[in-house]
Amino acid sequence: MLRLGALAVIALAVCALSLLPGGSSVSPLAVYAALLHPHAHDDITTIVWQLRLPRVAIAAVVGAALGLGGALLQGMLRNPLVDPYLTGVSAGAAAAIALAILAGVATPFLGVLGFAAGIVTAILVATLARRGSGLDAYRLILAGVSVSAFCSAIVALAIARANSPDAAQQILAWLAGSMAGRGWSDLAFALPYVVIGAGLSALAIPALNALRIGDVRAQTIGLNVARAQWIILAATSLFAAASVMLAGLVGFIGLIVPHVARRFTGSDARVMLPACALIGAAFCALADAIARSIVAPSELPIGVLLAFVGVPAFLYLYLHAERPA
Amino acid sequence: MIALDRVTLEVPGRTLVRDIDATIEAGEFVCVLGPNGVGKTTLLRTISGIAAPASGEIAIDGTSLQAMSANERARHIAFVTSDDLLSESLRVADVVELGRFPHHQWWQWGATREDDEAVARALDAVHMREYAQRLFATLSSGERQRVWIAMGLAQSTPVLLLDEPTSHLDVRVAHEILALLRAIARDGTAVVSVLHDLNDAAAYADRLMLLGCERLLAFDVPDRVLQPALIESAYGIAVERIDTARGPRVFAATTAVS
Repeated sequence: MLRLGALAVIALAVCALSLLPGGSSVSPLAVYAALLHPHAHDDITTIVWQLRLPRVAIAAVVGAALGLGGALLQGMLRNPLVDPYLTGVSAGAAAAIALAILAGVATPFLGVLGFAAGIVTAILVATLARRGSGLDAYRLILAGVSVSAFCSAIVALAIARANSPDAAQQILAWLAGSMAGRGWSDLAFALPYVVIGAGLSALAIPALNALRIGDVRAQTIGLNVARAQWIILAATSLFAAASVMLAGLVGFIGLIVPHVARRFTGSDARVMLPACALIGAAFCALADAIARSIVAPSELPIGVLLAFVGVPAFLYLYLHAERPA
Repeated sequence: MIALDRVTLEVPGRTLVRDIDATIEAGEFVCVLGPNGVGKTTLLRTISGIAAPASGEIAIDGTSLQAMSANERARHIAFVTSDDLLSESLRVADVVELGRFPHHQWWQWGATREDDEAVARALDAVHMREYAQRLFATLSSGERQRVWIAMGLAQSTPVLLLDEPTSHLDVRVAHEILALLRAIARDGTAVVSVLHDLNDAAAYADRLMLLGCERLLAFDVPDRVLQPALIESAYGIAVERIDTARGPRVFAATTAVS
């Protein structure tokens, strides 16, 4: 619990610091003063409450959702190399959004469309992976990879056939992941699904712990493995779809955060899942803050930044740090 | 206690054993014998409820296994499987505590005092109390087997099934495990274990269940099961029997069947 408390404090501190960088030059004191007076009618309050706070909140929610989704799927499949996008959500969303951009669908509808397409693709992958009343781990991986490859081909075709450089640019920007232009209304749309996903994750905690000794042994101690698999897959799909809707394709977090969390807390899901949410939230908020300040006033795509900075850092951590005692 | 009524076991495309009728009582130590592929593991999986019989019925204390939920079954039957899949860095106590899973409601995440006591009792029974905080991955094969048995004991079930608990173990550790199972049965648990060594089975079990030729060839005390003709019909190899002060022993005849 002490470690979780420390992680919560760190996550809050990172989110608070992430409010500081931005296009307008506002002093830290003014930012925090504006936080305390949400109804004041001045520019700083507007900047903080309508631009920076929703952005940080979205980054934190996306990070937490992807961290949790990764932990759930890695735990269920006992495979440390999978991430929430194995559900096909991101690939399905990407294909739908790429086609929608070509068809001239207005930008505000893209996120919702991506969410819906992501969920439909996840259902397709789950159907393909079904065996008996549950899911087959190998089929899930095979179906996830195959459907994702198919959708990626649609995206590539859409980029190649884009009739304007702007459309191709828009598709690429979405693929690279960004929270630019998102606000409270986007968060309000996605948050209920994240909350449902979190509820399902809480339900799955005993199952995740039991699955650490393998499917067969988990069955011998009374776990209904099939039911646990469906709950975990539903939660992961909701997390992935909500993240994709809010931020496009933000890779890496769903893969790496569970590894980092396990190093801090061990594999007990009662502690590890909350740790994943906190580390994911802090990580994504920090990455977004850097992405929008490092080449200000323009922004780096967060997915690119995470890959450039996060992957070497993770590899260093993983290859050099001692395993927890 | 455990009642098998005309139980037939199948795997896709093949019938393993037909019409098993058998009753196993509380406090009995039964060893299941038979050649590879005859259906010994499938029988245990079926008694545990993980697999369903092709036909027939299995009841535990008069209640049909099929009528029980997974959780309810796990409060009646513990099954120590032979898989050794454990990728996590779990401690011994964590593994044994998972045996308490069927005694928890879905909202119970933490261990109760009753859980702690059951885990401590189970670790004591397998003489692994001092290993409680050790990482499972650092244990020897024999120690791991003891931990899995402790997990089964922590389930606090009237039935304990084990699939080849002495495979990969040296002779001393194998005998320690068998003596442990004998002691567990003496305390009132019905213990059913698949074994390959006929003489070990005869030395420790109350009754032997011999499978072969797609049926239950014999289910009786060791003296009546370790008959050369029966063993030959099950395994297809001639054996010689020697009666010792500690019961019958069989050995492969010098010329093996081609």
